[in-house]
Amino acid sequence: MNLRRLAVPAPVSAAGFRRRVGRALQRRGLLGLSYAAEAVAVVVALAPIVWMVSTSLKPEGQILSSVPHWIPQTFTLENFQHVLAKYAFVRWTVNSVVVAVVATAIVVVIDAMAGYALARFTFPGRGLIYDTIISMLLVPIQVTVIPLFVIFAQWHMLDSLQALILPTTANVTGVFLMRQFFLGIPGELEEAARIDGASDLQVFSWIVVPLSRPAMAAVAALTFVSSWNNFLWPLIAISSDRARTLPVGIAQYMGAQAGTSGSAPAFGAPLASAVMATAPALLAFFLLQRYFTQGITMTGIKG
Amino acid sequence: MKILPASVHRQHSRGGSAWVTPYFFLLPYLLVFVLFRFGPVVGGFATSFTSWSIVGAPRFVGLANYQALVRDPLFYVSVRNTFYFLVLTAPTLIVLGFVLALLLNRPLAGRGVARVLVFAPYAMMSAVVGILWNWILDSNFGLLNYYLGMLHLGPVPWLSSEAAAMPAIAMTTVWWTVGYNMVIFLAGLQDIPPQLEESARIDGAGPWQVLWQVTVPLLRPTTFVVVMLTIINTFQVFDQVYVMTGGGPGTATLTLVQYLFFQAFQTFKLGYGSAIAYVTFALLLALSWLQRLLLPSEVSS
Repeated sequence: MNLRRLAVPAPVSAAGFRRRVGRALQRRGLLGLSYAAEAVAVVVALAPIVWMVSTSLKPEGQILSSVPHWIPQTFTLENFQHVLAKYAFVRWTVNSVVVAVVATAIVVVIDAMAGYALARFTFPGRGLIYDTIISMLLVPIQVTVIPLFVIFAQWHMLDSLQALILPTTANVTGVFLMRQFFLGIPGELEEAARIDGASDLQVFSWIVVPLSRPAMAAVAALTFVSSWNNFLWPLIAISSDRARTLPVGIAQYMGAQAGTSGSAPAFGAPLASAVMATAPALLAFFLLQRYFTQGITMTGIKG
Repeated sequence: MKILPASVHRQHSRGGSAWVTPYFFLLPYLLVFVLFRFGPVVGGFATSFTSWSIVGAPRFVGLANYQALVRDPLFYVSVRNTFYFLVLTAPTLIVLGFVLALLLNRPLAGRGVARVLVFAPYAMMSAVVGILWNWILDSNFGLLNYYLGMLHLGPVPWLSSEAAAMPAIAMTTVWWTVGYNMVIFLAGLQDIPPQLEESARIDGAGPWQVLWQVTVPLLRPTTFVVVMLTIINTFQVFDQVYVMTGGGPGTATLTLVQYLFFQAFQTFKLGYGSAIAYVTFALLLALSWLQRLLLPSEVSS
């Protein structure tokens, strides 16, 4: 109601007083509405996460209850112990960390180098190379999983961490972001260093890399997250705990227990594993959210 | 935005090997790009014209896979389900993401915290989101049915009925990813000079008019990107479906990527799976072409 009245433009000349009072009232109504909406948004976003933590701390017998208890009647860590004792959860976590860290380190270096070459040098084939790289942004990653499976099968490298790391290094967004970044910063500093006798590699590692830290941080954050959450390819490529990563381990071992099919579902262990997988990710996200949002907005706005 | 002319570089690099430099910088990336991205994309297309079950050599069969696809009822089911998921999810993700961005761009107390919290579900991995929502959507003991019951609604057999399974997965997906669109929209909103909205207000425009005549048009490039990313991501849905329903009940949530996965990696028809992958790609291209037509990124006037 209030909102509808706002759509009518106030008279331009007279009744200035009335207009101001009306505006103030409307503003207050809108403000109240805004706070209510803000509260609803936060509760809806947060409630499932709180419920996940709460459930994971209950004994299995108290989980399936006809009345939900947000605060467990009995606190227990047995679900967590069960997950750690019965499943290779620690191994999955280590695998996930190794894959994400190594892939991110490689991507940051090679994407910065490639982006620098594409932004700062003119050379035969530049247009073709750039266009080919960028055109891959349009191609869904699912198109590549069958050939990747064939490649790694022929190399006898399925079910290994390399099979997860290598495809992740062929990242298109990172090159694009780095190139855009270099195009946006002036090249005078690099020229000055060159005049002082620095070689191209010295210019790159002493001048360019320190200057491009924000862009590299954004690329690192994006790469890490996409590797950490990667699902389809590890599901296809990995068949043992040797190289199984967290998302796939959780889906294959925990998803079945929590599924709708079969006998009575058991949620204690699956939700404990969910909490353990989520806690470090959320913590990292809260600490580093600037880089995440930077990465997202850079791909979003300039992509 | 200036690109130094090549002559400058040539002038200052010593020796006659300067032309190698850009290739040296490009080489490591190009190597992995060709091996693990470009090569597979081309190879996948080639594979779609073969009959191949990983053991033995691929046999060229021309368009046979595509012809079989046209007669495959499960293929149509998966196309229909994918579009159904797109229609259920994408508009909600776009509109809600925009509304949340507008809301949390207002000078409200605690908006910084609220932004982080609304985005927080996106930091969870798909498998975890799937398991969590399997629990929340549980027919007998789930949180959602409990609160619906208090409103004298339900109980809805969310994931075990053919009618409700896809909406349930769509709802889960909105909860999980709407914060991503919000963040992009927020960045777009912050790029709008406040003077523009202020001067419209001084000219007597109400909030609705400012929104529709100043904010929305200026946000056009951002909206274009959000719509594109949302369509691409929802069209490729796989993870949540795999964890929550596995494509069921029956074939109610069988999507294109699910069907690709099934054909290529459970029955090992690599050629047929590749054909599904390329049809998915073609449909996605058609969708983005349609979007360009209906919603140009630039303001035409």
